[in-house]
Amino acid sequence: MPAQTAPATALPNRPPSLLSAAMRVFDLSIGQMLWSRRTIFLALVVAAPILLSIVLRILSSAGFGGGMRVGGAPVAAGGSIFGVFIWLLYLRFIVPVLGVFYGTSLVADEVEDRTITYLFTRPITRGAVVLGKYMAYLAATVLVVLPSVMAVYFLVVPIGAGTLAASFPALLMDLALIGIGLAAYGALFAWVGAQFKHPLVTGLVFAFGWEQGILLVPGYLKRLTIAYYIQGLAPHALPQDNALNILLSVLKDSPSALTCLFWLAVIWVGFLFLAARTVERREYVLEQ
Amino acid sequence: MSHLDAANASPGRNEESNNPPRPRDENAIASANQALGESPVEGQAPGPMPVVESATLSKWYGQVIGLNDVSVKVPAGITGLLGPNGAGKSTFMKLMTGQLKPSKGTIRVFGQPIWNNPAIYFRVGFCPEQDAFYDRMTGLEWVTALVRLNGYDEAQAGAAARRALAAVDLMDAANRKIGSYSKGMRQRVKLAQSIVHDPDLLILDEPLSGMDPIGRRRTIRMIKDWARAGKSIVVSSHILHEIEAMTSNILLINNGRILAEGNVHQIRDLIDTHPHTVHVRAAYPRELARRFLAHDDVISMRFEEGAVVVQTAAPDGFYARLTELAATGEAGEIAEVTSPDDNLQAVFQYLVK
Repeated sequence: MPAQTAPATALPNRPPSLLSAAMRVFDLSIGQMLWSRRTIFLALVVAAPILLSIVLRILSSAGFGGGMRVGGAPVAAGGSIFGVFIWLLYLRFIVPVLGVFYGTSLVADEVEDRTITYLFTRPITRGAVVLGKYMAYLAATVLVVLPSVMAVYFLVVPIGAGTLAASFPALLMDLALIGIGLAAYGALFAWVGAQFKHPLVTGLVFAFGWEQGILLVPGYLKRLTIAYYIQGLAPHALPQDNALNILLSVLKDSPSALTCLFWLAVIWVGFLFLAARTVERREYVLEQ
Repeated sequence: MSHLDAANASPGRNEESNNPPRPRDENAIASANQALGESPVEGQAPGPMPVVESATLSKWYGQVIGLNDVSVKVPAGITGLLGPNGAGKSTFMKLMTGQLKPSKGTIRVFGQPIWNNPAIYFRVGFCPEQDAFYDRMTGLEWVTALVRLNGYDEAQAGAAARRALAAVDLMDAANRKIGSYSKGMRQRVKLAQSIVHDPDLLILDEPLSGMDPIGRRRTIRMIKDWARAGKSIVVSSHILHEIEAMTSNILLINNGRILAEGNVHQIRDLIDTHPHTVHVRAAYPRELARRFLAHDDVISMRFEEGAVVVQTAAPDGFYARLTELAATGEAGEIAEVTSPDDNLQAVFQYLVK
């Protein structure tokens, strides 16, 4: 068996730049992330709105769904129903769930699988590993959510008087908003995953305890949530009647879009930086 | 010059490597000196810059001590890190590869601190002990993806990965998913990722674990070829005969301390006085046992599911015969050869008694 010999061409002897290294980690990680058991489970979660849309479509075709009004419009207005789907199902539930489950596991999965050694013994910074895996998270979650949103759009919007063309600009905004939500939650939970001993529990408590609860409390505390700023960017009118109306009217206290974008950018960059810094400084003792 | 000496005669090799082992632990190992018929050697002889140097290096996990006050200079060439399971070999290797941060003391590789110093990994390759992979990737994809982290472009990475896989005789399976590899192939693909960037220092944590006899022989040859090419290797094992086949320069470690360093042969004489246990997993264990019985050095045998466990008084001869049997296939396929650390543990108990 021949010993490894140096190749004739000059090979790199300087570490790749942060972005270049992150892209290489992304290449290595995206396949693993997409085909993980977690993705299969979360694909089932994002399938739920599709099933609900099918049920609504069938009910609508059968002539049900008269009394409820959404945004002052009859429930039969598909665009309004789609807006409720985006706000209540995607932005308030699915996006945080994806953020928690993927974000907290960016490095934890590699540690649990004991493959982190291969990444940490290469001439790249650990920050590049975190960034690359975060980029893989964003790509994987967008690939999981996008088909679901599009399916719901095509199923729900045509209900009643809704037209796909009229709702298309709102769809683009919704997709952008989901992307922003995934980016912000992912960065936050990447840090939670790097910092805390039980990141999944911590993440779930934040997303479905703190965020859901504090938004109902008047005052400044709601500014310590991501949902508060995402809500300020939501393009859809929210439901105007029934119990949901009362609940969501409390949430209607929203800052300007510019303020929301600014704070979401701060959260995004800030927590991503903290996650990278935490991983740089932390030791990972692998189970043998 | 024997083949072992030749392997150690690589450029920059510390002249002391043929000296007898130098005990390190003042108290418990005083008796080891006696057993080895040696006097403690004070300090380190001057020589070329060590590839790895630690000073009062300690690592503890909470209340558990992983490594205790280790000051050692690892010379160029092949150095074997020998100790039973739980002795601190892996902790030392993780400190050496910058995966762990010292609790106390320092560790330097090529004169530089390794913790949070990614640039040093251009010169260091690491083959970890754990059997962990991205199972859905093929061997070629995996090694290519990893060497791209060294800044190689796609073409350079692909070429380097193919060279590394060829070096470990894995090109035939390069396009198969790692998940379908045998234990020995997985060990070899791990080795490939550690050599793919042509490092100056190769750190191998139990690289022969789980390999079949042919794979062991090939890997040992590769390690020795690597050393002849002027590279340095630190290789850990709990099996003296594995280390001995690669180098005579050892660091003997137990309970987180370096007990002795230097020439392996005196230790080997000690271990030869203790029966050596070998676990052979094979297609036809009874056929193997029948052939073993023909030799006087076999003290006892027992059967386990799909395996025969042999106690031998002459491990060298036994391993040589086993390798021949595996090569000829006369007694069917030999899938795996392992040796429990009882062999070495017995010697350690004897040394520190």
